[in-house]
Amino acid sequence: MKKRNSIFAEILLAFWASLIILPLIWIVYVSLKTNYEFYLNPWALPESLQFENYINAIITLNLGPVFLNTLYFVFGGLIVGVAVNTLAAYILTRLEWKGKKFILGLIMLSLFLPGINILVPQYVLAVFFKLNNSLTGLILLINVALSAFDILLMSSFMRSIPKELEESARIDGATMWVIFWKIIFPLSMPGIITISIFRFLNLYNDFINPFIYLTDPSKHTVAVSVYYANTVLRYTSNYVTLFAAIVVSLVPTLVIYAIFQKRVVAGATIGAVKG
Amino acid sequence: MNWIKKFYSNHPKFAKYSFIYGFLAIPLTFYVVFYLFPNILSVYYSFMKWSGLSDPKFIGLQNYTRLFNDPFFYESLSHNLFLMLLVPFITISIALVLAFFLARGKSKVHDILQALFFVPNIISSVVIGLLWAFIYNGDFGLLNTIFGLFGVDMDGFWWLGNVNTALLALVPVYVWVNVGFYTLIFTNAIKGIPDSLYESAILDGATEGQILRKIVIPMIMGVISVSALFLVLMTFRSYDLVLILTGGGPGGATQVVGLYMFSMVFQILGTAARTPSYGYASAIGIILFIILIIAKFIIDKITKSDDIEY
Repeated sequence: MKKRNSIFAEILLAFWASLIILPLIWIVYVSLKTNYEFYLNPWALPESLQFENYINAIITLNLGPVFLNTLYFVFGGLIVGVAVNTLAAYILTRLEWKGKKFILGLIMLSLFLPGINILVPQYVLAVFFKLNNSLTGLILLINVALSAFDILLMSSFMRSIPKELEESARIDGATMWVIFWKIIFPLSMPGIITISIFRFLNLYNDFINPFIYLTDPSKHTVAVSVYYANTVLRYTSNYVTLFAAIVVSLVPTLVIYAIFQKRVVAGATIGAVKG
Repeated sequence: MNWIKKFYSNHPKFAKYSFIYGFLAIPLTFYVVFYLFPNILSVYYSFMKWSGLSDPKFIGLQNYTRLFNDPFFYESLSHNLFLMLLVPFITISIALVLAFFLARGKSKVHDILQALFFVPNIISSVVIGLLWAFIYNGDFGLLNTIFGLFGVDMDGFWWLGNVNTALLALVPVYVWVNVGFYTLIFTNAIKGIPDSLYESAILDGATEGQILRKIVIPMIMGVISVSALFLVLMTFRSYDLVLILTGGGPGGATQVVGLYMFSMVFQILGTAARTPSYGYASAIGIILFIILIIAKFIIDKITKSDDIEY
């Protein structure tokens, strides 16, 4: 469109942008105040920057171990999930074999099912297989299963790899694994990065699953930790520490988003609505 | 080891199928066991009375009769309905306007804005919940302060603690989170509208509002309706934000079906403890399942209809 926006339009856009930025900025500068300053005037800027709030947050939230738990939970899950689904995408979309259609149908079934009703039975089954109250168990539960979304995304990325490459490799006597590892895997890298980013965000932000399955506080992830910290710190009216904790938990998400923002935005629309 | 390699290269079909089944077996099993099978299991449990401690007891349709006579269930459903009507409508309206302006602006600034609008979508629900709990806080909340700026003294009003305002207070939260995503979708859709369609309108001196209403919206109506329905379903299924913001309170004023089902088995902070009821929770789950499947079919029927040609 050639026509430029009116001032009104730009103001509207700026307004919405401020609705997003302002709360986040508010959290950051409150996290650098003292509780006294906070109660005096929640909106004033801090006199001096209280970085010790962050130290307090790290101590109260037991952030050292919690951060390690989260690291394990997220990256363990990431590696497992991406490995599983990339291989599965290759097998299900680039190879021809008997029973493929049936299995593909089974997987696409998950897109039709609401998912909300499996919460309870899934929990019962997980307990039965002793996957509960264990970070490793939870990693397996969430990430080993095939994901329709990931497979769909990967297949669209894998489509552009020419079949001739596979064929000539096969003629040269390469095994299936070599074909996958040396040809398909490197050429699918954009897709792999995309599903990795999404899986990272979903795992890092996941609250419900760790909340349900990880009853032992020593196994908590960041999301659950912040939730429980809310009750503790609110009770003691120690809001500034709570705000600091929130800022700390936000950092990884925002960093990943800042770096990979284009891919996140592109990937979000691929899996989404078509006109 | 060499004879293994020899065997594989002499039997390509075996090699191929052992590769396929080898790498697919475990993930597929996990998928079927933990994601497909629980659907069947939830039907089974819905006929049981089970606290998770002793053995399950078969009670037939009792869970369902109890559910059909449960006022809390219907109250939760009405809350869902309230959210399902307001959230999609407001979200999509705002997203449309923002997308319209973003699609026209072609500068770097607009790209940055697009990326910025998406930020709430990637933040954890815990952070969003706490952030908005602070905005709505009676003592120091942002909302009350803004009212104060306009001279209205809210006198420490707790938006999330008042039975009359709590549910309504949830709406801006959902809108805030979701606008970015739909702005993105609509921007892409609007960018696909050929310029020629705007030409005559511009020549006639049409205003931005007229262009939006008479040209843009009809052209992307397909995308809008699918988005709306998607959002309606998502609002119906969502319960983690409610869990964090209000836990269903005060006094059940913000209880939604997903959370109601959740509370039957899991302990929510700040609510009364109850003995878990796996059977009843499963019955609720089955009813939700049926509702959503029916909704899905209706949606598929409706979206099969007109596609606008250029």
